[in-house]
Amino acid sequence: MSAEELKTLHVTKIVDARGTACPGPLLEAKKAVGTIKHGDIMEVLSADEGTKTDLPKWCAKQGHEYLGTIEENGFFRVFMKKN
Amino acid sequence: MEKKKLCIGLYSGSVDKLTAAGIILSGAVADDMHVDIYVLLQGARAFRKDIGDNPDKLQMAENPAMKAEFLQSLKNLKVKTWVEFFRECKTISEVKIHICGLAGKIWGAEKLDDFIDIADDICGIGAYITATQEADVNLFI
Repeated sequence: MSAEELKTLHVTKIVDARGTACPGPLLEAKKAVGTIKHGDIMEVLSADEGTKTDLPKWCAKQGHEYLGTIEENGFFRVFMKKN
Repeated sequence: MEKKKLCIGLYSGSVDKLTAAGIILSGAVADDMHVDIYVLLQGARAFRKDIGDNPDKLQMAENPAMKAEFLQSLKNLKVKTWVEFFRECKTISEVKIHICGLAGKIWGAEKLDDFIDIADDICGIGAYITATQEADVNLFI
């Protein structure tokens, strides 16, 4: 998805993991995904560079859909859909 | 689908390797793996109740002269302590921590109650070997 498309998504849950280094964002995503429904969209905010590769791979293994990442000033917004 | 199994032989009782183990453990539980940790010789000392989360009582395996810098950097980055990693991971997936009975005795700890509360049981080497044979992934730290 393009950045513009990602910005129009209806996000059910935002996980702000900007205060943590790896593996914090991954663990926060793991805990949060259990709290949303199938089909819901979750956005993870992270300032950790590794999250850009970690979360897409984690989504693929867990069967969730990775939708894309927007790079903001000093952090990333990673979007995924729970399957 | 049956969950994958990770078996860790945790020989080290050094703060840097324990932290690494906590980070690896985090990745494993995020992947829903079942993890069995067998705490061996040096590791058992770190799990003693009176040591556990006190970095002053633990050594560094690598770059020992830089221990203070290492710990400060972890703190600045808001990285959890190794005990905090282990404790949190136990709430996310099935993580069992088994203490080698001999290792405990070497360090003066014989009962489960002598160890920090994240330890699940005291075991013999046979249990570890069986777990290595049943695991999908084996690590020795």
